[in-house]
Amino acid sequence: MTRSRKMMILFMFLGPTLAAVILLRLWPASMAVLESLYAPRAQTMSLENYAYIFGDPLFQKSILVTLIYSIIVNPLQIAIALALALLLNVSIPLIGLWRTLILLPVAIPQSVSAVVWGIGLRPDGPVNGLLVALGLGEQRFLTSPDQALGSIILIVSWIGIGYWMTFLLAGLQDIPKSLYEAIRIDGANRWQQFRYITLPQLRRTLTFVLVANTVSNFLVFAPVQILTQGGPQGSTNLIMNDIYTRGFVWGDSSSASAATVVLVSLVLLVVVMQFRLMRAPEDNAA
Amino acid sequence: MQFNRIRRGVCAFAVAALASGGFVSAAMAQSVTVNFLSAQNDDVFQPVIDAFEAANPDIDVVHQTVPFDELNTAIETRVARGDGTIDVYAADTPRIPAFASRGYLLNLDDAKDKITGAVPSAVELELVSHGGSVWAYPMWTSTQLMYFNRDLLKAAKLEMPEGGTSARMTWEQVTANAKAAQDAGAEWGVMFQQVDRYYQLQALFESSGAGNGLTGDDLLEPAMNGDKWVETAQWYADIFENGLAPRGVSPSQTDDLFARGKVAYYIAGPWAIAAFNAAEGLDYGVAPHPYFEGGKQVTPTGAWALGINPHADNLEAARKFAEFVTLTAEGSFLTTKNFPLIPVNAGGFEKYGVAIGEMTPKIGPALDIMAHEGMETAVARPRTVGFVAFETEMNRMFSDVRNGADVKQALDDTQSRLTGLLPRQR
Repeated sequence: MTRSRKMMILFMFLGPTLAAVILLRLWPASMAVLESLYAPRAQTMSLENYAYIFGDPLFQKSILVTLIYSIIVNPLQIAIALALALLLNVSIPLIGLWRTLILLPVAIPQSVSAVVWGIGLRPDGPVNGLLVALGLGEQRFLTSPDQALGSIILIVSWIGIGYWMTFLLAGLQDIPKSLYEAIRIDGANRWQQFRYITLPQLRRTLTFVLVANTVSNFLVFAPVQILTQGGPQGSTNLIMNDIYTRGFVWGDSSSASAATVVLVSLVLLVVVMQFRLMRAPEDNAA
Repeated sequence: MQFNRIRRGVCAFAVAALASGGFVSAAMAQSVTVNFLSAQNDDVFQPVIDAFEAANPDIDVVHQTVPFDELNTAIETRVARGDGTIDVYAADTPRIPAFASRGYLLNLDDAKDKITGAVPSAVELELVSHGGSVWAYPMWTSTQLMYFNRDLLKAAKLEMPEGGTSARMTWEQVTANAKAAQDAGAEWGVMFQQVDRYYQLQALFESSGAGNGLTGDDLLEPAMNGDKWVETAQWYADIFENGLAPRGVSPSQTDDLFARGKVAYYIAGPWAIAAFNAAEGLDYGVAPHPYFEGGKQVTPTGAWALGINPHADNLEAARKFAEFVTLTAEGSFLTTKNFPLIPVNAGGFEKYGVAIGEMTPKIGPALDIMAHEGMETAVARPRTVGFVAFETEMNRMFSDVRNGADVKQALDDTQSRLTGLLPRQR
């Protein structure tokens, strides 16, 4: 087979993917970067849009809220997903039922979950009804600036935990049983088994889950848009909601583009840091 | 013989060609679809769509509905991006300057005479104009009424509000009575239908003398953190803080609370009459919109118009539909059949008047109130290219205030945000 023929076949297979990547990812991304450099009605490029968003208290707060949210939601979801995966990896009765129940919220669209939780968390809703019945005080949930972000974290986690648990459970089941047998013969207790076998063996799966979870949490939008639109008092104005408001509500697509570039840079920075942190010593040696 | 055969053959061919041509053109004619986007439920426009389709069998109208808060996004994502699959859309009149200046509306100057013929009010024409041109077909106008639940007021031994506009209650009286009604068993004392929307709440600030919140030549400078604004916003915050009105209820859920007999006094548009008449066991009446003691008597106004997407796939059919809905008495009246908002078409209003007038013995003189308010107390929302952004931020502020934010802080934050935001909308 000649070289040119090989290249042709290569392009036939890769062509559609390359075209999709260029058309659906690189082209819109370049357009966003370009648009972010033009202020409204301006004919020349400048950094005015960036100066405007960084001077805007609403945008500053949205970055802060996004960072606080990410710092809480990612470890929380992964810790609970891992705990559930470990629990469901041992043979307990009705294992299929438990797995189904935990995975069930994933099958419900995020918007539907948000609407259901919105009703549940209303000041006169069933969750408060339950709290009162248990002798606890009523909570304001989505209407309180102190509780709204926590409520969004609860809703997003209700959906996300089952999803990430599935990956971790698959990772756990890939760990050879012989490793556990070997360490048990050496007299290791349960904690030591977890520390020296489970965690190192699960590192690649955990890295994937951490990175994918972080990215998806940076891009959380539907529950915020449906339930709080960034309020009360900007307490849930996550950066995706801020970009949406700028671009599609105010019709200010240039500041929305600038905010998008900031978001992508932020996500890239965090993901690169995560990859470095999760790298094993042997990877560094290589 | 040969000639005859040829002639027959030619005739047969011609007939077949004509027939197939006719068939094809009939099929093509049937395939014209007008896509119509609005924020109303299907049942609002179904009567007028049915009548239009019956009169125009070659045009199908497909109504696409989105929630009110999503309509702007739908226009920004579809019409603004050149999508031709939206032909006609409902535009809230204060948004028309922004939409027209961004190129989202077809210029309708050629229909100006037709519009003035069917809609004689100069104010209504002004509401669909921008920069000296006409950009939409005026459809409805609006006002707000105070609904009251007779059973709840009776239980609290309160007088029924009078329907006459000379006996308009003050907010001070309404809140005091609302408290009494609540003490006598009403779940909520007083509520607004559109709890965090500028459209309904502007009247409070105009009544107290605070103003509409915008100033400057192009109305692009915010002016909404003076003492009067703080005082009036605090009054609004207090009805939630004191438990007269519920927190955490969205505008789409409010009608239901009044319809289920849980609210003593309720401020809402005349379109709510359709839902309240259908509510079993609800004994209610209507009275004029309240005002602040010593302040001005002010009511909201303005409503939806129909705009044409300049990139529409079926421009002609789209205009035909929009003109049927807004410029004919029949079409105009049919839009109010399931949604009694006030039509601005002269013929449509006449029919509407008869329908609403028939309800007077039951609910009070709603039509007289509407006619009076339209002439005497109506204050429109500010007309500026920055209105969409201004309205969004005001709605956000109202939401914060009713949920317990510090009023002065919320107003200062909104003022500072709008100071940066509005000049970018020019």
